[in-house]
Amino acid sequence: MQRRDFVKSGILAATLATPFLAGAAVPFRLGLTPVFLDNDAHIIDRLRSGISTALGQPIELIQKRTYQEITAMLLDGSVDAAWICGFPYLQHRERLELIGVPQWRGQPLYQSYLIARDDDPAGSLSDLNGGTHAFSDPDSNSGYLVTASDLARNGQLPENFFSRAIFTYGHRNVVRSVAGGLTRSGSVDGYVWETLQQTEPSLTARTRVVAASEWMGFPPFAARKDRAASSAIQQFAVALTSLHTSESGREALQLLYLDKILEGETSLYDGIRSRMADLPERG
Amino acid sequence: MIGKAWRNWPVTVRVAFVTGTLMVLLGVVASQRVLATLSDLQNERLREVAQSHVDGLQVALAPFVLRRDVWEVYDALDRTRSQTGGARVNFTAVSDDRARVLAATDPKRAAIDDDFEALLDSAVPVKEVTTTNAERTVRIVEPLFIQDREVGRVLTELDVSDLAAQRRHTTIALLAANSFATSFIALAGYFLVARLLQPVELLTSHIGMTRGAPERILDTDIQKANSAFATLMKNFNEMVGAIQARGEAEKRLADRERFVSLGRLSSSLAHEINNPLGGLLNTTDTIRTYADRPDVVRQSADILDRGLKHMRDVSQAILHENRVDRSMNPLTLEDFDDIKTLMLPETTRQLQELQWDVTFGDFPIDRLPAAPVRQICLNLLLNSSTAAGRCGRLEFRVFADGERLCLQITDDGPGLNKPSLARLLSQEPVEPGGGVGLRLVGDLVHELGGILRHERTAGTTVISIHLCARDDPS
Repeated sequence: MQRRDFVKSGILAATLATPFLAGAAVPFRLGLTPVFLDNDAHIIDRLRSGISTALGQPIELIQKRTYQEITAMLLDGSVDAAWICGFPYLQHRERLELIGVPQWRGQPLYQSYLIARDDDPAGSLSDLNGGTHAFSDPDSNSGYLVTASDLARNGQLPENFFSRAIFTYGHRNVVRSVAGGLTRSGSVDGYVWETLQQTEPSLTARTRVVAASEWMGFPPFAARKDRAASSAIQQFAVALTSLHTSESGREALQLLYLDKILEGETSLYDGIRSRMADLPERG
Repeated sequence: MIGKAWRNWPVTVRVAFVTGTLMVLLGVVASQRVLATLSDLQNERLREVAQSHVDGLQVALAPFVLRRDVWEVYDALDRTRSQTGGARVNFTAVSDDRARVLAATDPKRAAIDDDFEALLDSAVPVKEVTTTNAERTVRIVEPLFIQDREVGRVLTELDVSDLAAQRRHTTIALLAANSFATSFIALAGYFLVARLLQPVELLTSHIGMTRGAPERILDTDIQKANSAFATLMKNFNEMVGAIQARGEAEKRLADRERFVSLGRLSSSLAHEINNPLGGLLNTTDTIRTYADRPDVVRQSADILDRGLKHMRDVSQAILHENRVDRSMNPLTLEDFDDIKTLMLPETTRQLQELQWDVTFGDFPIDRLPAAPVRQICLNLLLNSSTAAGRCGRLEFRVFADGERLCLQITDDGPGLNKPSLARLLSQEPVEPGGGVGLRLVGDLVHELGGILRHERTAGTTVISIHLCARDDPS
């Protein structure tokens, strides 16, 4: 390479790199899954505003239909961090780092609800045998793993236990499916059902909780382990945990019916891990 | 029966009825056209709505149906329903290509994996949908395509109750409007025709006054009518005048015939006197010739005596008959004696048997006029005597029958022929040339307010006259 060519290449590289070097112009990309009421644009907007204020830089919220899509984007670096479920977190725990766990009603825990229509006489999961069932997502702990593992502990599979099992790709959709009579029962995030009872009582009023699981680790915020030490992720982690200290952050948390976001520990998800162990390997 | 009843209806009612019937027919035809047009418009609108709905579902659902994604199909249906507020769309169900239900807006009606064919009762393609016979809903079934491949079907139930209500309201409005228009026009027709036919009604009423004779229409009424009817009424009045003139002529003719009859009667009486008078003159000649033969004179004197007595009787009868100013005298028993005296020569001449029975008890015969009663009795007795013929039998009875005095004349003659009966019993005009005796009897009985009856039984003719006593004998 000639000297003159080297200089040209350097100028070109500097020119092309200039926008990226201006860190403030690149938004932080946060992936979202239906672990919360991701259908509410107002909540999404407030969440963006709250985190952005805390982070001190713009934030881009990226929503996908399935957990798998967001997890894949997190793993391939398409998003910097994501609010995912404990189940995919554990599925990829070697590559993912826990950067925050929401606290709901005083603890970073939630339950999975088995729901049915309000007029359904079922008293337990076994009573729902032969009916139709709505799961949220195949990678959802509360919306799939809990019920599937309960069945697995009895040596049964969802596709055999239920006459028909469908995925609605959203906890709110599970409630709609059961309330509308599309399916007899559904597996839903307890936090989402309780929140819906506050925001859409007419919807949850047409359902009732047949069974609630044990308390398990709340869906966490995670980032790729190899990027966890980066300043962006560190700043994001600080912004999350300090969200409750700012006005906009509190407003966002209030809309999400959350107390605050904690640093969290991996041990919170031991219960989910235990259920994962009971689940037969997926073909 | 109906035709007869129809002819009996007044023309004004008939015109109103016909007008009303025609209006009803017109209303039915017009209403039918309006309803047919409304139905066409509604069908067109319904098909547009249905096609639009199905097209929307086609775009929204076909990819999910291809993947048999139950939730996405339900979600699309549910969101469509909540966004449109379910306007007109009552129910929608979607099936896959195996005719199994994927999802429906109302999962209770169509659950996942139900047989889709079982839901298709009365469902038709959009092109064939119609609201004509639907009261509340219509059902539409259409296939869902992706790249010309049928991946499933969609069943939609549309609410058309508003369209049915619109048709019903239109029908009621048409019915009410037509009823009102028909009633109004029929009534208007009735009054208009009644007004137009008022002169005809007037004419009819005057023609109908036939108790005596048709009456003339007043000039003031004629002036109210239009020219055509005025001419008709004037013609009618001329006709009435002609009828009255004819009646008067007939009356004059009857009077003339009566005088002729009286003349004949006078001739007969003269004959009754003249014949014996000739015999008496012959007898006087005989006396003169045979004055010296006492037996001949005695015999002739006897003949003279009988002849003179006969003439005396006849002259007395004539005297009684033509007594001046006795027409209004009250009836007495002597009047019946006179009648008998007058009749006896005739019955004797004809060798007839006359039974005479005049017993009326306390009946006030003086409250009946003598002249007409004598005339009636004499005419009928003379007529019966003529009818009975030689050696016939006559019977004259007078008796009280309740509040009436009954005069009954019986003979064993051949009976009255039809023209004679018509003269006796009817007041209608008669053919001229038949004499006026019987007609005179009929007229007199009628004038006295009596009843005249004729019976023909067992070879005898009985004519009865029942007369009421007048309140005021004067």
